[in-house]
Amino acid sequence: MTTITPAAARAIYQRIADNIARIMQGQSAATRKLLAALASGGHVLLEDFPGTGKTTLAKALARSLDAKFKRVQFTPDLLPSDILGVSIFNQRDQRFFFHEGPVFTNILLADEINRASPRTQSALLEAMGEGQVSVDGERRDLDSLFFVIATQNPVEFRGTYPLPEAQMDRFAMQFTLGYVQPAEEVAILSAQQHNHPLEQLTSCASLADVLALKRAAEDVRISEELKRYVVELVAATRTTTGVQLGASPRASLALMKAAQALALFDGLDFVTPEQVQELAVPVIAHRLVMEPQARFSGLTTQGVVEDVVKKTKVPA
Amino acid sequence: MKPPPLLLGAALLFWGWQSEFLIVGAVLAVGLEAARWTRARWEFSDEDFSRFWTFCSLMFLAALVYAFTANDGPSSFGSFFQNPNLATQRSAGTSSSRTASAILRWVPIIFFPFIAAQIYSTRDKIPLAAISLIMRRRRNQARLLGQPVLPDPGFHAGYPYFAACLLAASVHAAEDHSFFWGLCALLAWALWAQRSRRFAVVVWALALLAAITVGFAGQRSISQLQRYLEHINPQWFARFMRRGFGFDPMQSRTALGSVGELKTSGEIIIRLEPKGGSPPPTYLRQASYRQYRTPIWFAGGSLDDFTFVPESPPNSFIWPLLPEKTNTAGVNIASYLSGRRGLLPLPHGSGRLEQLNVIELKKNLTGAVLASGPGLAVFDAFYGPGATIDSPPELDTDLSVPDREIPVLDQVIDDLNLRGQSLAQTLLTLNGFFGDQFTYSTWQGAVRIQNTNDTPLGRFLTQTRSGHCEYFATATVLLLRRLEIPARYAVGFAVHESSGDNYVVRLRDAHAWTLVWDETRQIWTDFDTTPASWIQEESKNPTPWRWLSDAWSRVKFEVAKFRWGQSRVRQYLVWVLVPVLALLLYQIIVRSSRRRRREKPLEDEANFTWPGLDSEFYLLEKRLAARGVPRAAGEPLSSWLERVADVPVLADLRASLHELLRLHYRYRFDPLGLSAAERATLSAEAKACLERLAQAERTPVTTAK
Repeated sequence: MTTITPAAARAIYQRIADNIARIMQGQSAATRKLLAALASGGHVLLEDFPGTGKTTLAKALARSLDAKFKRVQFTPDLLPSDILGVSIFNQRDQRFFFHEGPVFTNILLADEINRASPRTQSALLEAMGEGQVSVDGERRDLDSLFFVIATQNPVEFRGTYPLPEAQMDRFAMQFTLGYVQPAEEVAILSAQQHNHPLEQLTSCASLADVLALKRAAEDVRISEELKRYVVELVAATRTTTGVQLGASPRASLALMKAAQALALFDGLDFVTPEQVQELAVPVIAHRLVMEPQARFSGLTTQGVVEDVVKKTKVPA
Repeated sequence: MKPPPLLLGAALLFWGWQSEFLIVGAVLAVGLEAARWTRARWEFSDEDFSRFWTFCSLMFLAALVYAFTANDGPSSFGSFFQNPNLATQRSAGTSSSRTASAILRWVPIIFFPFIAAQIYSTRDKIPLAAISLIMRRRRNQARLLGQPVLPDPGFHAGYPYFAACLLAASVHAAEDHSFFWGLCALLAWALWAQRSRRFAVVVWALALLAAITVGFAGQRSISQLQRYLEHINPQWFARFMRRGFGFDPMQSRTALGSVGELKTSGEIIIRLEPKGGSPPPTYLRQASYRQYRTPIWFAGGSLDDFTFVPESPPNSFIWPLLPEKTNTAGVNIASYLSGRRGLLPLPHGSGRLEQLNVIELKKNLTGAVLASGPGLAVFDAFYGPGATIDSPPELDTDLSVPDREIPVLDQVIDDLNLRGQSLAQTLLTLNGFFGDQFTYSTWQGAVRIQNTNDTPLGRFLTQTRSGHCEYFATATVLLLRRLEIPARYAVGFAVHESSGDNYVVRLRDAHAWTLVWDETRQIWTDFDTTPASWIQEESKNPTPWRWLSDAWSRVKFEVAKFRWGQSRVRQYLVWVLVPVLALLLYQIIVRSSRRRRREKPLEDEANFTWPGLDSEFYLLEKRLAARGVPRAAGEPLSSWLERVADVPVLADLRASLHELLRLHYRYRFDPLGLSAAERATLSAEAKACLERLAQAERTPVTTAK
C-alpha cells in the first residue's frame, strides 16, 4: 500500500469534495463529515426528511470514486441472505457455490435501513464491525474498503423497525443534511431541468487513492491530552441526568479517528480540540439512549452532547 | 435528578417550623446548603454510602423502638393481646399512631447523615445497591456465577429526602393552613425545576393551580367529614377514654359469688430489694376499703379525698408520709404505674419514701398512696411497726355490716363463742377457725340457692368452706365488725418469692387481707386468715415456659428502667454512642480523604505533564480575558479568538493572533512539538502581540456576542 504526503491526501479529499459539490449544493459540511467517516474507516447513517438528498449524496460519493458500489433497498421482506449472499447447489459440479450478496462491495448504500426487520438489519453487524461475514460457518473477508452509507426517514413510524442499540453503535456517525438555502434550491432546480447531473458525474479518485487517504488519516498525530479529552466527553454522557445508556468506548475510538481525518482535511498533521468538538455530536449523539421522562420533557441526545461539550473543560 | 439550589434547605426550614424543631431545621439547612459555598468534597465509595445507609437505618430502628416504648407501645399491645377488647384495641391503635407520628417527625434528622454524604460527595448518584440488600446480593451472585452484572442506574437522594421532609412536616401541631400553603409553595418550586419544556409556562401554572385547588377542596372535605362523624355520637369516643389505676382506690370488686376458676397470671409486676439486711415486708398494700355491698368493697369517699404529700425538701425525691415516725426497715421497690398514674404498693407502716422520681404524690384516709409520673416507679420505702397513714376508725363505717350477712355472722360467732373474748383471743380463734376448717381454692362450683337470704359469704362460711383470699378477708372483716372491732378490707400483694438476694411479686400474688384496729395501741395491724396453703395453691402446676416469661419480664423491666430514666444506662449509652459514631465517621470521612490524597498525585501528574503549558500564548489569553472577553470552559481557542477579534481596536491583531494560535496549538497538541526556532518565534510573537495590545488598551472593549 502506497503512502502519500498529507498535502497529497488533502488534495484527494478536495477533489472528491469538489466533485460531490457539483451535485450537492450547499452541503459542504455534510460532505466533510461523510468523507471524514470514509477516511477514518467508519460508516455513516443519514437521517433526514424525504427529498433532502440522502441517496443522492451517497450516489454522488459512489460515482466520485472508482470503486464497486451496490445499493440495497431495505424492505420488510428482505432476508439476511439477500444482503450477505447464499450458497447454491451446482448440479453440474455436485457442490455448493457461494453467490455473494451486495455486501461484497466497496460502497454499500443501505437505503431506508429501518424498513427491514431487526434480523436483516443485524446481518450487517459483523460486516460493519469487523469487515467480514460468516456464512454457512465459513468466514469471508470483505474488501479493504468497505463503507456503508445507510439512510433512514425519521418521520415514518408505521412499518419501520428502529435500529437496535448495537447496530447504532456500529455507525461511526449519524447526521442530517437539512434543507438547503432557497438560492441553492433554485440552483438545484436549474441543474436538473433537463436531466440529473448525477448521470454526468465521473469518478475523480481511485480505490487506491481512498486507501491512501485512509492511511494518511491514520498517520495524523494526536496528543495524549486530546485522547483524554475525547474520553472525558464520551464518559460524561454516561453520568448525565436523563441518559439511560451512555456512549461506549467504541464512540471514543470513532471520535478520535474521525478527528484525525478532519485534521488531515484541514491541512494539519496533528489533531486540535476544534476537530474533536466539531464531530462530537455526529459521532456520539446517536449512540445514547434517553430515559423516557427526559425524552418526554424535550431533552434530545444532540442537546445532551452539546451540553457536555459546553461544560467539559477543553484543552487550550 | 438533583434538586434545584436551596430547595432542600427550604424544605428543612419548613419541617422545623411545622414540627417545632425550628432551630434544628435551621442548623440542618445551613449544613446542607453550605455545600454551595465550600469546595470541600469527599470521594465516597459504594461501600461508604452503604455504611452511611446502614448507620441511618440503625438510627431509624433505635428511634422506632424508643418511640414505641415512649408511647406505651409494649403495655398497650401487651394488654391488647392478653385481653382484646375495644378499649385495649383503641389503646394499641393510639400507641401505634403516636409511634408513627414521632418517628415521622424525626425522619429528617435520622437520614441527615445520608443526604449530607450525597451533597458533600464528588458523585452525582448513589448506587441503588448501596441501599438495597436484595440488589447487592443479586449483583454479588451474578459476579460469582460469572454472569453479566446489570449496570446500576443509581439515584440522587435529594428528592427522596425532600419528600421525607414534607412528610415529616405533615406531623404538625398548628391547626391553620400554613402547612398546606407551604407544601404547595415547595412542591411548585420542585416541579418548576422539572417541568416539561414542551408546554408553555402558563399551561404549567394553570395545571398546578388546578391541582392545588383540588387538593385544598379535598383536605377541607376530609376535615368536614371527620367533624361530622365526631358529632354523630360523642359517647362513642368518650367511652374509650376511661383509664384505670390498677387497683381502684375507691372500690374493689371482689369475685365473691363468681363461679369457675379465678384466672391468675405469673407475670412479674413488682421487684423488691430489702435494704440493710432487713427481711422483706410480708405484704405490700395498695388500698383498703371500708364499706361492703356484695360483691364490692368501697373506700367510702371520693377521689377528692386525696391530699397532696409534699416533697421535702423540694427536688430531693424524698416524700415523708409520716414525718414523725421512726422507721426500722427499708426496702427498694420497683413497680409499674400503668398509664403513668397508679397506687404505690407499700409495706405496712411506711413512713417515708425516698428516691421516688414522680411529679406528684397523694394519699387518702384509707392508706392509698397515688403517684403520678413515669410509667415505672423505683423507690426506697422506709417503714416500721406502729403508726400508719390510715385514719383512725369511724364507727359508722368501720363497723358497718350488711344486714343480709348478719344472721350467718352471728351464727359463726355463736358457734365459736367469740363474744366477750379479748382482741388477741378473738384473732387467735378466728385464725384457727379459718386455718383448720377451711381450705383455699380458686375454684367455685355452682351451688343451689336454698333461700332468698342466702349470700355467697354465707355459703362460704357455712357450706362450702372453701374459697380464695377475698372470701377469707371479707368474712374476717365482717366477723370482727360484728364483734365491735373496727376492721378494714385491704388489698395488695403478698411477698414470698425470692429471686437471688431480691424478691419478686407476680400478678397472681395479688392478695386481700384484713386491717384490724388495736384499741389499746391505737394502730391498725395486718391480720390474714387465708390459709397459708394459698401460696402453694397459686404456684402449683407452673408452666414449663415460666423461665421464658420471667426472662421477658426482666427484659421489660430493664427496658422500662431505661425508658423512664430509672437507670444510668441512658447516660452510658450516650458515652458508648459517641465513640462508635466517631469511629464510623473516621472510617467514612478520613479514610476517603486519604484515598483522595492517594489518588490526587496521579491526577496532578496527569494535569501538569501536558506539554506546552508554558506557552506565552496564555499571557495573551489572560490579558484579553481581563479586558472583558473571558473564555468559557468548553470554548476552544479559535472560537474565542474570533470573538476577541470582533472588537474593532483588535481587528488589526486578527492575523497575528491566528498565526500565534497555530504555533501554540502545535506546541501544545502536536506530539512532535516545536523546533527551537519555532519555539522562539512563538515567544517573540506573543510578546509582540502583548505590546500591541497594551497600546490598544486605551480603547474600551465592547464584546460582540
